This record gives sequence, C-alpha cells and structure tokens, in this order.
Amino acid sequence: MPRPTPNFVTFEIDGRDVTAPEGSMLVDGAKYGDVEIPVFCYEPKLGQPVGACRMCLVEIEGIPKLQTACSTPVRDGMVVITGSQRVKQAQNAIVEFLLVNHPLDCPVCDKGGECPLQDIAYGWGAGRSRFIEPKRHFEKPLELSPLIAIDRERCILCFRCVRFSQEISEDYQLTFLERADSTYVGTHHGHPYVAPFSGNIVDLCPVGALTSSAYRFRARPWDIENAGSICTICPSQCNVTFSVRDDMKVLRVFARDNAEVDDGWLCDRGRYGFQAIHSPERITRPKVKEGGTLREVSWDSALAAAAEGLRKAGAGTAALAGGETSNEEGFLLQRLMREGLGSPHVDSRASGPIEREHARALARPELAAMVSDIDHAGAVVVVDSELQDESPILDLRVRKAIRRLGVKVIVVGGRPGALDPPADAIVRTIPGGAEAALGGLAAALGEVEPADGAPADRRAPRDSSQTPVGGLDERQHGEPARQGESVEGGIDDLSRRAGTSAESVRNAAAILRAAGPVVVLWGERLSHGARGGAGVNALLALARALGIPETEGAGLIEVPAGTNARGLREVGCLPGLGPGLADAPSAGRAATEMASALGDELSALILLGADPLRTHPDRAAWTRALDAAGFVVAFSDFPTEALTEHADVILPLESYAEREGTITHPDGRLQRLRQAIGHPGDVRPVWSVLAELSARLGVPGAEGFLTSPMVSRALFDAVPFYAGLTLEEIGGKGKRWQERSAAAAAPAAPELPAPGDLDAPPEPLEPENGDLRLGTARSLWSGRETEHSPILRFLAPGQRVELSAEDGVRLGVASGDEVTVARNGSSVRGVAALRDGLPPASVYLYEGTAEGNATELLNGEATTVRVHKAAAE
Amino acid sequence: MTTMRLLKDIDEPGLATREVYERLGGYAAMRRAVTEMEPDEVLSQISESDVRGRGGAGFAMGKKAGFIPKGDMDKYLVCNADESEPGAFKDRVLIQRNPHLLVEGCIIGARAIGANKAFIYIRGEYELQGDILEAAVAEAYAAGYLGRDILDQGFDLDLVVHRGAGAYICGEETGLLDSLEGKRGNPRLKPPFPANAGLYQGPTLINNVETLCNVPLVIGMGVEEYRKVGSEQSKGTKVVSVSGNVQRPGNYEVALGTTIREIVYDLAGGPLEGREIKCFFPGGSSAPVLTGDEGLDLAYDFETMAQAGSMLGSGSIIVVDDAQPLVPLALRLAQFYRHESCGKCTPCREGTNWTVKMLERVDSGEATPMDLELLQQVQTNIEGNCLCVLGDAMAMPIGSMLVKFRSEFEEHAERARMRNDAALVEQPAVELAAAAQVGPA
Repeated sequence: MPRPTPNFVTFEIDGRDVTAPEGSMLVDGAKYGDVEIPVFCYEPKLGQPVGACRMCLVEIEGIPKLQTACSTPVRDGMVVITGSQRVKQAQNAIVEFLLVNHPLDCPVCDKGGECPLQDIAYGWGAGRSRFIEPKRHFEKPLELSPLIAIDRERCILCFRCVRFSQEISEDYQLTFLERADSTYVGTHHGHPYVAPFSGNIVDLCPVGALTSSAYRFRARPWDIENAGSICTICPSQCNVTFSVRDDMKVLRVFARDNAEVDDGWLCDRGRYGFQAIHSPERITRPKVKEGGTLREVSWDSALAAAAEGLRKAGAGTAALAGGETSNEEGFLLQRLMREGLGSPHVDSRASGPIEREHARALARPELAAMVSDIDHAGAVVVVDSELQDESPILDLRVRKAIRRLGVKVIVVGGRPGALDPPADAIVRTIPGGAEAALGGLAAALGEVEPADGAPADRRAPRDSSQTPVGGLDERQHGEPARQGESVEGGIDDLSRRAGTSAESVRNAAAILRAAGPVVVLWGERLSHGARGGAGVNALLALARALGIPETEGAGLIEVPAGTNARGLREVGCLPGLGPGLADAPSAGRAATEMASALGDELSALILLGADPLRTHPDRAAWTRALDAAGFVVAFSDFPTEALTEHADVILPLESYAEREGTITHPDGRLQRLRQAIGHPGDVRPVWSVLAELSARLGVPGAEGFLTSPMVSRALFDAVPFYAGLTLEEIGGKGKRWQERSAAAAAPAAPELPAPGDLDAPPEPLEPENGDLRLGTARSLWSGRETEHSPILRFLAPGQRVELSAEDGVRLGVASGDEVTVARNGSSVRGVAALRDGLPPASVYLYEGTAEGNATELLNGEATTVRVHKAAAE
Repeated sequence: MTTMRLLKDIDEPGLATREVYERLGGYAAMRRAVTEMEPDEVLSQISESDVRGRGGAGFAMGKKAGFIPKGDMDKYLVCNADESEPGAFKDRVLIQRNPHLLVEGCIIGARAIGANKAFIYIRGEYELQGDILEAAVAEAYAAGYLGRDILDQGFDLDLVVHRGAGAYICGEETGLLDSLEGKRGNPRLKPPFPANAGLYQGPTLINNVETLCNVPLVIGMGVEEYRKVGSEQSKGTKVVSVSGNVQRPGNYEVALGTTIREIVYDLAGGPLEGREIKCFFPGGSSAPVLTGDEGLDLAYDFETMAQAGSMLGSGSIIVVDDAQPLVPLALRLAQFYRHESCGKCTPCREGTNWTVKMLERVDSGEATPMDLELLQQVQTNIEGNCLCVLGDAMAMPIGSMLVKFRSEFEEHAERARMRNDAALVEQPAVELAAAAQVGPA
C-alpha cells in the first residue's frame, strides 16, 4: 500500500471547528481540538477497534444512539458533543460498571499512580460507588508466565492483551475463557504464556491486572524517574525508557514509541534483559594480570599497563569492536589503532572481510529502505534471516504489513522460520544456498514474459482493490535491467545450485514483478565466509533487477549480527576503510585473518566488547590465536572464558543504560544513547577510557576530548556524509543521514551487477557417507542478557540440532535425543529437534550458545558434519 | 382467526420428506426463481412483498438483501436458526415439520443475492430438528436442488447445517458469524455490517428461519397475493408462540394486525379460570412488558407494538397472570441474561450481574425502596450503551416492570423483610445468645 497522504476534514466538536486527518477515528480526531475522549480498549496499534469497553461514547448529531468515538471515523461537517448531560451520564455509568468488579486495591497495586483506570475514574466517573454486593474473586496473583503475573480481579476485560497475542505477535496463546461476568483472560489449558513478545501486554494493560514479575513491588511511580534511550541488545535498536530508582538502579524497561523504529513494541529480551546491568558478576573495576592472576588495580595502573603493552606491540596490534560499540567508541578505537599504533588491523565484523566496493555500495542512500517502508511496500523479501531471533521487532513489523496492509512476503533461506506460515512464497534452499537463489531471482525478474499462472493470493481477499503504485514496469524506464541475461544454465541451474526448484524461484519472481516497491531484509550471514562477496553481489544484482535505486519506498535493510554494525562500518571500523568509508592509508586484516596472524605477525589484541570465542566462527582458531597473542586488552562487562584465561588487562565496560553517544540503525538512522544511571563501582565511560589511552599513545588531540558530545562532534566532522549533524538534530527520535543534504557526500560505488555479471555459485556440497550440510542460526535467547538476568535465565538455550524428519529416521534420531555433531575432530553436543520443512541432508545449529556453540564447527567454508546419537553417559 | 400459510400443511404426515413436500406444491417457487427469473427479479419481488424480518428487529428483508453488493466475490447466505429466546419456539416447529420449506427459502434467497454458499446455524439443543434438517438438505442435494449446476441453470449452491454449542449470544447475527468461523461467539462492532463484511469478511445476508420460509410463499403466490394479508406496514402472517399462564400454549399462525386479545383469548384460551392477565411480553423475553389493560386490544404487528413502547420481536407472547409474583420472574429473567452475556462489553457484562445481585436482595428481603431506584437506574445505564442488543434485552423488560409495577416490587421487598424479622424474633433466645458470643470473645 503506498504511503498515504492525509486529507483533512473539518468537523465540529463541543462547539468548536476542528480539522483532523480524514479516516482517523473520533478519539484521535478530537485530540486535534484538544478534546480528550476517555478510552480503555481502543489502541490503534492493535488493529481494528473492538468497541468493547464503551468508555468513549459520544453524541453525534443526527444519530439517535450514543456512538463509540473509537470506531467512528471523522467526517466533514460532523457535529460531535462530548460534554452533554447524556454523554456524562453514560461515562459515569461505564466507570461505575467497570468498578463493579474491580477490587480498588490501588494502595497495594503496582499500577497505582500511573493507572488509566484511576485517571479515568477520577476524570470521568461520578466519584461514588453504589455497588454493595460481593465482588467476584479469583486466586491471585497467578503466574501467567515466569515473566508476568496476572491478577484477574483487577482485570476490566478490555481485550488489549488478547488482541496483542492474536493479532500482533500472532502467537495465539492468550484468549478469553468463560463468559459474562465470569469471563477471564488465560491460556489454553493454563500453559504459561511464554513467547518472544509477551511482555508487551504489561505495557498495554490499562489496569494492574498484568504486571511484570521483575517490577512487582519494586517501586511506586513517585519513586522512579524515567529516562529515554535505546536498547542496544540487538540491531532492532528499539527506543526504550528506563525507569530508574535513586539514579543508580534500572527497575524496568518499557517501550518509547517510535513508529520509524519499533512501533512501540519490545521483545522480552529487551524488556527484561536490563537485570544483567545489576548482576553481581559484572566487572566493575579494572584488572591487570600479574604473575598469571588477574588483580583489581586502579585505573591509572590499568591504563599504564595497557598503554605499555600496546606501545610495545605497535603496528602488530589488532582490534575487534563488538556489535554494541557506539559510533564514538568505534571512531576513537580506529584512531587509536591507525594514528596511535600505526596498525590498520581493526574490524567490527566477525566473519571475514567485506570488499570496499561492497561496503560502499551497501551504504548508498538509494539502496536504503527505512523501517516504515515495510508498511507501505508492495512486497518484502526476507533473505537468510530468522527475524524473530535476529531482529525481533522487524518480525512484528512484517506481520503487521502482511495482516493489515496487504504486503506480500517472500522468504528465502534454508531454515523454516516464523514467517513461513504467513508468507506468500517460500524459496527453500540448502544451507548457504541464498546466494544462488538471489541470483536466480534476479535472473527470473529479468525474464521477458511473466511466468505462467501468477500464483493466486493464498490469503483471504485483503483489500484486493488496491493497485500497486510504481510497479516494476514503470520504474524500469530509468535503467532497464538487462533482460534475458543470466549465467550459464540460467534459472534452472541457479535454482539447482541453491538446492531449490526453479518453479519456486519463478513463482517468487512473479509475485515481485506484480508488486509495488520491494523491501529486502537480508541477513548478514549472506556476506559471511568465503562466498560472502559473491553473496553481496547477488544481493546487489537483485536490487538492480528490482529497480530499487529508482524506486521510492524500495530498498535494502540489513539484519546484521552486531547491533551497531552499520555505524561501526561508517565510522571506520573495517580493515580497509576509514571514517566515511574512505580508503584507509593501508589495508589491514579482517577478523578471520587476525586469528591466523596472531602470534605471528600480530602480537597484541584489543577486544572492545567483543568475545571471539563466543561469536566468531572457528572457535579452535581463535583459541589458538588468544593463546598465541602476547598481550590482550579487553573491555568487558562479564568475565568470560576468553578473558579469564587470556586477558592481560581487563577494562570494565559500560552497560547500555550507562552509555552516552550515538549508534546507527541498519536503515541509517543515527540514534542517541542517553545515560540513564550512574556507573557502578569504578566503571568509566568507554569513550573517556579510549580517549585517555589514545592520549597516552600519542594520538593527536586525544586529550582534548572532555565530554562525549565532543567526540560526537569530531566524529560527525570526520564522516563526510554526517557533516553538520548535531546531537540536537538526532534528538529523541533519531535522524537518518540519508535524509540530510550531506548524504550527497556518501562515497560512490560501482554500477550494480546484472545477473550476467555474477560468478556461477558453487555446486551444492554433496554430503558423503550420510553427512549433513551445516547451517547456523541464532536464538533470540542466547547472549549475556539472558544468562545474567535472573528472570530470563530459564530461557537460555542449549544447543538444538535441527534435522529433517527424513534424516532423523535415517540416523535413528528422534526429537529430544542427545546428539553429537562432529567435523574434523571438533564436535559439539546438542538436543535433536526434527522439523517439518527443513531441507533433507541439512542440519541447523545455533551460534552463540554458552554450551555446544556451533562456531566450533565453522570455518567460513560450506561444510558438512556428521550427526549421531550421543552415547549415554 | 388463524391464517394458515406457513403452517398450512403442518399436520400432513411425512411433510418432512421431499416427496410429500413436493406433492403439496413444494419447490415450485424455487423452480420458478431459478429457471424463469433473473436474480434481480427475485430480489425485487422480495422487496415489493415488504416481508419483514421475523427474528426480532423486523427489518425489511428486501432492503437488507439490497445492501449486498453486486459482483463476483464470495457471498454468503446465513440462516439464523439459533432460536434461543425464552418464549420463542416457532422455528422449532417449522424446521421439525416442514424443513424443506426452509431449504427452499434458502435456495431462493441465495439466488436473489448471488450467494453460492449458505449456512443454517441451528442451536445445538435442537438435536432432533438438526437431524431432520440435515436429512432434508441431503434429499435436496440428491434431487439436484443443491450442489453444482442446479436445475441446469449454472447456479451452484452449497448448504451446510451447522450446530451451535449452546450460547444465546450466537443468535446475535455477528456473534453467530464469529461462531460459524470457529471463533468465540462474540458480537462484532458494526459497522461494517454483515452485508458488506460478514462471514469470512464477505458480503453476507443473515435471516431468520421464518423470514426465509416466507420467501417461497412470496415467489409462489406472487407479491400481490402475499400482500393481501397483514396490516399497513406488516405484511403476511406471523407464527406466534404463546406461552406462560394460558390454557392452550402453542404456535398459532395469524395475519399480522390481528388483535392480541384474539390471539391470547380466542386461540390460546386465555388465562386459567378466575385469573386476570397482569401483563405480557409481546415479543419474547426481551420485549418490554405491556399490562393487560394497555396491550390486549392492540393490533399485533411491528408498528403498533413499537408505538406501544414494546416490540413484536420474534413474535412470542408470554402471558403473566395476576397469581404470578413479578420479582422471582424478573430475577429468573435477569439470571438468564447474565448467564448468556458474552462478557465483551462493559455495561452488559457488569450490568446483568449487578441486576441479578440486586434482585436477589429484593427477593430475599434485604433491599430497601432506594435499591429499587438504583435497580431502575442501572437498567437505564445499560440501555443503548451496549455493543449489541443483549444488554438492552434484559434492561428493557426489567426496566418496564419496575416502572409499571413499582408498588408490587416494593411490597414484595417489604414482605420478605418482615418475614426475615419475624424469623429472627422466633429464634430461641439461647441460639441468639450463642450467636452473639461468636463475635468478640
């Protein structure tokens, strides 16, 4: 659906003329005239109004009965009365009815003081209760899940939580049970409501019926202050509010609605992962290894030790920036490396180099889509990424686009995912087959005649009247894709190499051809490993075939492995590219190459929030490299295996609630991190530590950085396409650099490849002796937030070995069996899960788990592994 | 007195079979509608006949069918056979004895709006009637009256009998649609109306059993003949279910506009010897009551009942005589509506529950005249403020009883209170003393 341009209508409300957007509901329209109409069940984010609470009844001239303002769109010339005796009586009546079964236990209720029911009862109620009968009783409070407590006595049955579960997260777990005044919210068979987005129902609840177990009885609203910032746990970069007590303790996290980023939703990891900030295991003081053991020391001696060690290694130093590193920290790190130590070896990617041209092409403004483009796209293609795990809020965004806006969705990848059921087409490949599949899609889009029998829309007719605007035919006037060209063997051959059928590729292409602007959400793993460059090429060829550069509202959005992947690339944390993606004075080594060079040409390593043993492929190589490294300086928040065994200096890392600076969303939106709490223990801001270290190592001007905004200023000056940006301009809602005039300074990139320019993808790996092709995935729940937040710990995943049912039978493995996955002497253990829809002869494992991490088996090449049932211990 | 149209052959043995039904002229109207008439013509005949909905609201069927958009989209006809209103049992007899009339009505109705899929949503408790209906539908399929290419006219229609699971609210048209879709049967917000976005979001015409049974008559006898019977704005006959304190309760078919006195006294035999009619519900338990004096000589049609401040509803007259105390009646009624409220909207969910609790106190002598005032106000607060009509369906009759028989409610409460007092006094002193000691020891 094209982005709507609002028309305005004028109507009268309480004697005043008000102009509001056409089609908006009266509740929203009234706000344009500063009239508040009370609501409980109305929440436009949840879809169509339900009209259940009846709180918003108003009088409309010409209609005899009172009408619900939540479901009546404003019309030109409409006359609305919200203050008449009749309306007042109805409002009083509804408040009185709502309180009939409400326990009024406000003094002991978490919601007291920030409760819509309280506010509305005071504002629109009669101020008395005439109900003297016994109220209904439920056992309370009950665990709806380990994260959420439910108090059914307080519930006013407004439908919000049930609608969320059924229409937003589409987990269909919550429902109403029983009827009349016995109605209550629950799950089928009383199962705990555990789902990736369950915590949102706490935000939605207009009373104290649903409360967060992490926040229950921790504070009253007047004990806390709210501070806005960004959640940096994953690349979704949701805007959040921290509720802070005594300036030092985060008590809860809730959504800070930004329609351009998160639509006001949060995943449970983002909502509850804050507990890790206050974990007793956190590193809060600098440590230096003396005589083989780490000892807490003063900052001065820690920095002196770090500076000395690094000075000694000089150009033999390498640095890894972790995904949560801010732009400012990344900028200072690369200056420290390049200007202080003369070393070009700095990388923010885990899995091998990316070509300069590719990095620049992917940063081009005309290839970038913004998150809200998903809503208005003709189609969305999801490539090699399970959004629910890797960028959960985008999963909700895509669901909304499908359900409410009729956007078509095509899933490309090997592992069955959460978006398969609502998808219009699935191109199921073998692990690593996405490159060939994208090449095939690009070639199929260039085919002259549309594929026969364009697939029928499998969903119920959802506003089929809308015709896509700016379809492919129109936009190809600019630069037509070279039609008919494709690699040898064409689509059939590419599909075979992808391990999929040509039919499914053509089918997907037909949908894309008929749709309007296309947004491609691509998982970073497409650019990983030996075929990473070819993967990016195929992606760029698809972008060209889709006419993305010429089409308004079309574009690519990366789903990176690291939260601030885009920002770190743009500020210069790539081995060959300095700030602004300009050529660095000399090319350095990428992370994978550092691993092999450590102990040889490289002797020291800086880990800035990076843990190569956890997140980088080829764990064996990194173990060797850390052993061989002469000197390791690590910024870290938790003691890990890499640190305790290998670090010479440990510098405590800030948590995201303590940080100040900026980060960049995968769609190019710079967002501000604002410090919400004070630093615990001896923790210092990372930017200031890096600045001081830089000063000690002689980086010119480093001692001049006295505040974080000064670093930001230097950074904005150093990146040509950020030029002139200020923190004020970024503000609370962020700013996409592509939308500023300085974007013209973005480095040029070569012409996008046509399908004919692509290298032939490799032949699919033929597993021998019953081996399986290895693919990897990430779990939403792996990571330190889960492991160090007591409330989330039950979700921390073990290794899960996903097989097709066919292979399960062949190998004698059933779901739940303990299995061993082995390759070349390395092996990991995990629990088998047989999954429908998984391509045969493939196995999927999680990367980044605490136990049985799949990185043990990865080396950047397509790989086969052997799976067998583990011997009983 | 009676005017037999729907119930004309109702006592014919074997009427539920297609053989007998066709022998008596059945399916002829359907043949005409399918083979000789264009869908628009069928629709305009229904419109011209002015047949009004027999399910409760009395909305003109032709007008409602006219709202269904033209075009090739999937359209649906749904027959509401979820007859659950206390006092209503007319659809039961029509389905049980003359199921093919309904099937024929569905075929003609579907033809008129261009629907290819029809559903009869029958209440689960009508087990026998559901079986009979299913057998009739099977016979119609076998005869080629349902299915593909009906009567070689290229008209397809599937008819499915769906059984409800025992909720009154599923007789509300949008609740019925949700239930039919497999969801919890909750009424939907209107608009959109079912004519635009009904079953599976497609255009849907929903009509009551008796309404659809009138359709073959309209087509069969012609509009002019059909309109000969009835009153100014209510054409045709009505099957009236008479129940309560009468000598001969049952279903009687009368021309609309017949006086209520004729129906209650001449047909149903009036109240038992020596009793007077105190009041009656003219349109099922949801209709505001009329006293015998104000209501008995009124014409029984949609417009007169509306003018009198009540409604014809489903056409079920429940008679209450002077030996019947009203408070237990009101309580029983409120209990029914509380039990059947779906719980979706606030005034109905909480109001029905509150009303029951107050009436229980009135009945047991724990209420004061002030409570009756509150009871009255709660009914006013429910009325017109709900999502669907279920809340009103309780508030209107109970509100009307409170207005018209306030003194009886007051006396009932007072008598019960005095009875309680007396019982307290009669208790042996020892027991009272023991009871007193339970307190602060």
